[in-house]
Amino acid sequence: MNKKFYILFTLVCLSFSLIAQESWEVIAEENDNLSIIMFDEELELSGQIIYDNSCKSCHGNPEKADFSKMLPEPGDIASESFQNQTDGSLHYKIRIGRGAMPKFEDALDSEEVWNLVAYIRSFNKNYIQKKPNLEGIVIPKFSLALSFDENIDKLVVKTIGDDNNPMSEVELKAYIKGSFGNYLLGKTLTNEMGIGYFNVDAKMPGDAEGKLEVIVKARKGYGSAKTMQKMIMVQPSTFESAIKGRHLWSTAKQAPIWLKVTFFFTIISIWLMILYVVFGLKKLKKYS
Amino acid sequence: MGNKEKGKQSRRKFLQNIGVAGVGAISAPAILFTACSSSSDKKTKVLTPDNKLIEIDSENGLAIDTTDKSYLNKIGREGIPGKKFVMVIDLGKCRNERKCMKACQSEHQLKPEQHHLNVLEMENPSSGQTYFMPKLCQHCDNPPCVTVCPVDATFKRQDGIVLVDNERCIGCRFCIAACPYSARTFNWTEPRDSEEYKDITYNMELNVPQKKGTVTKCAFSADRIREGKLPYCNSACPNGVYYFGDANEDLVTNGTTKETVRLSKLLKQNSAYTLMPELGTQPSVYYLPARENS
Ligand code: SF4
Ligand code: SF4
Repeated sequence: MNKKFYILFTLVCLSFSLIAQESWEVIAEENDNLSIIMFDEELELSGQIIYDNSCKSCHGNPEKADFSKMLPEPGDIASESFQNQTDGSLHYKIRIGRGAMPKFEDALDSEEVWNLVAYIRSFNKNYIQKKPNLEGIVIPKFSLALSFDENIDKLVVKTIGDDNNPMSEVELKAYIKGSFGNYLLGKTLTNEMGIGYFNVDAKMPGDAEGKLEVIVKARKGYGSAKTMQKMIMVQPSTFESAIKGRHLWSTAKQAPIWLKVTFFFTIISIWLMILYVVFGLKKLKKYS
Repeated sequence: MGNKEKGKQSRRKFLQNIGVAGVGAISAPAILFTACSSSSDKKTKVLTPDNKLIEIDSENGLAIDTTDKSYLNKIGREGIPGKKFVMVIDLGKCRNERKCMKACQSEHQLKPEQHHLNVLEMENPSSGQTYFMPKLCQHCDNPPCVTVCPVDATFKRQDGIVLVDNERCIGCRFCIAACPYSARTFNWTEPRDSEEYKDITYNMELNVPQKKGTVTKCAFSADRIREGKLPYCNSACPNGVYYFGDANEDLVTNGTTKETVRLSKLLKQNSAYTLMPELGTQPSVYYLPARENS
């Protein structure tokens, strides 16, 4: 009885895991999502750069099927299982991730993901890009204005529409630019006054003037905007060189002048002594 | 009496000879050196930026552009101002895929048995559980290897990176003995594919081409960092083990997911540790402990 139960249980578990591996449901809306920009060589190239940096380590070289040996298999982007999916589905899966597939939503913006899709499609000769039906759809146009409220340590982002009126319900993402990637401050929607707030940790180190480089990306429907700005938001910091001061391992360059003087003085005196002795010995011979 | 006199004389002579020999021994190289430099008064051999050895008049020699090489060496020694590079390794995520090692070896012209970075299998003594630990040069803030190098061939830069200049290295291997983390390896034989690499200008930040009879070790991919890219090993890892960044910014970026997080938070929330902190070497590489049953 017990044994049978276990076998049954294992079978059920196994089938579940197989199902989980095979199907990755994408909601219809996302599945039918389309890029409003036509894929061209330029987009493919920028997609390739992102691919080489972020995807290649698992998915390998396209068309070579040399992807990582993982379970579930990452797969080759040139393979049928990839190419049979809709653009929207690829776009969704890259953004959201699942299991070992990282979620790239915070690291890449929507355009960058579309560039990746363009690159993936460049391996499919039969691919014909579907364009969205934009008839009757207004693409919102807006710009962003940034400021910092030091009383509440908040970054204030204002969205202003074409008609100079504030625009609400705009998805905002704010980042701090780092050396190797951007640090996500947060995501929010603008309120009725077209304003979104982001908390800024006052303890974050800024540059010598307390500036941080902020990137804000905004999106509403098919409309998007991006801005970058260096702003004073935190305390100024000073950075010390890792080799400042004297260490046991310091080179002669870091030695203080008194040490150098003493050193050379000692060396020269020893030499003079030796020479004195040598010449003394020579004289001795003459007299003997 | 006569004998005594003779003995005295020969002793004198002996002492005198020693003195003359001493002076001779020391001044000979100096004389030789001046002779050599004076003999090449008219012609000088120089290396052009595209690595050709040519002979030129030494007077015009100053006008020849040899910047490429000196430029590489100079920036290699100086490092990037205002930065302090650190790496964080999440042991809980390492699956011994060894892609980081392969990327490292292919970029640094290493043979399969030479490691700048090695993934070791470790065992937790109390639970008996095993985990994998990538181990590389810790880029110590108080590096014993730099202390012992007699010729300033291995050095620390202002951005915290410890490098080897294999054009200065004399192969004494003191640094290998001094490093508590066994992070250094030696080129006992001709490096891999040395024929292919022989015409390439030496890049200190990559330490390529490798040279027989010199030491080599992890460079934190100083050449990649200069381009704003993550180290080779970080980008090659499929499991998100590595974070790399600038401690002055308090930000580190994951090599796989490209997610950027606060360094101080990451270290604190995961009870990060460094290897053998009791030695006072102050490593720039932090480890996040492997989690039980992970
Ligand atoms: S880990 Fe070893 S080689 Fe690297 S800096 Fe420290 S002592 Fe030097
Ligand atoms: S082997 Fe080279 S780098 Fe190491 S201590 Fe000797 S000279 Fe310096």
